[in-house]
Amino acid sequence: MSSSKRIAKELSDLGRDPPASCSAGPVGDDLYHWQASIMGPSDSPYAGGVFFLSIHFPTDYPFKPPKVNFTTKIYHPNINSSGNICLDILKDQWSPALTLSKVLLSVCSLLTDANPDDPLVPEIAQIYKTDKAKYEATAKEWTKKYAV
Amino acid sequence: MSSGGENDHFYSFDEGDSSSIELYESQNTSEFTIHGLVFPKLTSVTSQESEFDINEDEDGVDTIYDGMLDTPITKNSKRILCEGSVPNLNYECLTTKGIFERMLQRVDHLQPVFAIPSADILILLQHYDWNEERLLEVWTEKMDNLLVELGLSITANVKKDNDHNSHFREVEFKNDFTCIICCDNKNTETFALECGHEYCISCYRHYIKDKLHEGNIISCMDCPLALKNDDIDKVMGHPSSSKLMDSSIKSFVQKHNRNYKWCPFADCKSIVHLRDTSSLPEYTRLHYSPFVKCNSFHRFCFNCGFEVHAPADCKITSAWVKKARKESENLNWVLSHTKECPKCSVNIEKNGGCNHMVCSSCKYEFCWICEGPWAPHGKNFFQCTMYKNTEDSKSKNAEDANKTLKKYAFYYRLFNEHEVSAKLDWNLGQTVGTKVHALQERMGISWIDGQFLSESLKVLNEGRTVLKWSFAVAFYSDASHNLTKIFVDNQMLLATAVEFLSELLQIKNPEVIMKRRPEFYNKAGYVENRTIALMECGRELLCKGICKVVE
Repeated sequence: MSSSKRIAKELSDLGRDPPASCSAGPVGDDLYHWQASIMGPSDSPYAGGVFFLSIHFPTDYPFKPPKVNFTTKIYHPNINSSGNICLDILKDQWSPALTLSKVLLSVCSLLTDANPDDPLVPEIAQIYKTDKAKYEATAKEWTKKYAV
Repeated sequence: MSSGGENDHFYSFDEGDSSSIELYESQNTSEFTIHGLVFPKLTSVTSQESEFDINEDEDGVDTIYDGMLDTPITKNSKRILCEGSVPNLNYECLTTKGIFERMLQRVDHLQPVFAIPSADILILLQHYDWNEERLLEVWTEKMDNLLVELGLSITANVKKDNDHNSHFREVEFKNDFTCIICCDNKNTETFALECGHEYCISCYRHYIKDKLHEGNIISCMDCPLALKNDDIDKVMGHPSSSKLMDSSIKSFVQKHNRNYKWCPFADCKSIVHLRDTSSLPEYTRLHYSPFVKCNSFHRFCFNCGFEVHAPADCKITSAWVKKARKESENLNWVLSHTKECPKCSVNIEKNGGCNHMVCSSCKYEFCWICEGPWAPHGKNFFQCTMYKNTEDSKSKNAEDANKTLKKYAFYYRLFNEHEVSAKLDWNLGQTVGTKVHALQERMGISWIDGQFLSESLKVLNEGRTVLKWSFAVAFYSDASHNLTKIFVDNQMLLATAVEFLSELLQIKNPEVIMKRRPEFYNKAGYVENRTIALMECGRELLCKGICKVVE
């Protein structure tokens, strides 16, 4: 399968030149199922936390986007309690020229800059827009509780 | 024979009055005029269209001349219409290909205005949903931005440090090429736009193939530079851009669903275009349904897009169909897991992601929770968390519901029986052609003389359909009202007439068929009369509010 070659290439690139504050690799022998971790960005309420994600590559990768989910609980307007992420490049804006490393960097920047206008969890988005301090406090608390 | 004034709307004649037929025909000679309706004013009554009704224009656009060759099997007595009549509908039947060809003509027409290659104009139009006015507006405002935005301006995207001195937009053969998509190193054909993002042909093909059905502009995998139709065909090695254009036109039709309707019949690819929809409310007001007929002779309602459903109006039909779905096990899942797009009513399953829904069919953006448009949600998304609680009212009405369920089951069984019979009749229809042939061969009669069989079959089909939908009307009618009783009697008369005719059509022996030919005329004529009577009676129930959907 051509997708395995591409995934193997991404794995070796990640090993050679790992992106700042992210890491990723296969779980066991299955090249199509990875686990990744993201360090909470220092300029965000998630600082100090380590967040784990599960990644499933479809067989027609890179023509279809990978499925990326948080396995660590996180308080964020665009990430829900089951770890689903609302991110355009994981859906219709996906391009075969993107890589998992670019996806992880986008997730990092989503942690720094949430997009409350296209929320996955409207309740969190509402607090984000009306009471930023409260949002930050809760996010910090969750980070401490679940991600440290 | 009266003429002039109001009486023009009717034709009335006595048995054997042949002049009435002339009048009948002379009223029907205007081209494109289609009524699909069934009243004397609209002349064709339960239409006895023959294959002659379709004339193919030289430009390939099919137009229907309805009723021109109609000769009523039986005569109709003058009827009083309930509360007035409706105007004729002028429409045309198209295909996506036909629409696209028109768009190409528009492109040629626009070329001098834009002064850019036709292929580029095509992309612009595709992006603006084939809306010329909107495109021209944006074009005069910000022509350069638009070209960059849609990936048509090459200069902005060209890699400055381009060491790749190959020919762009041409498939080339390269030795030892490493494609960054599949990570294969091989001797292969490659393709690149002016941006120099070069990929192997098999990756490019895979990428394009996935995008063809979306109907959007396809860009380079790594930048916004657009692939034109020519490029797509070059990469794919065969004309594939037509598929992309087809998808784009389909989405155009979906978005303009006020004027364009797909024929709802399975596997029918016809699109009916009604330019002037202003008369539609009048149809609704008088409880008529604006029936149209596609090039494959499928008759459907332009208002609700459902199959022909007289005497029921669109409201009764939709209530009935929804009810039927509710009761059906198969569709339980659809109802519990999907919502209808508030704009185009396509069923949408939410399989994850946020509540910002974009209908894949008409591209309407709405909120999953409140089903309102998405636009205001940017600021006030929380408004829609006020969930509408419908549970309470449901349990309160549970008893009533149980009562109506029995009534419903009764009517639904009848409705269903006629649906099944209609299908059987349809199968019967397939054999009629061979029967006509047999008549020609063995009885030595002309083709035209054998047409009474097809005519009878048409009358039967239409009678059956009307009968079927009349049960929906009966279900929603106030049973105690005298008019409802008359309606039910009418139903019985039509049901009997339909069965008689159906039986006649089962006869296989050509000699017997010819011997009983007068019976065919008689029964078909009778079915026709009963059909009209039942339809008008149903409409009266609707007009008088005796038949209505109880929420």
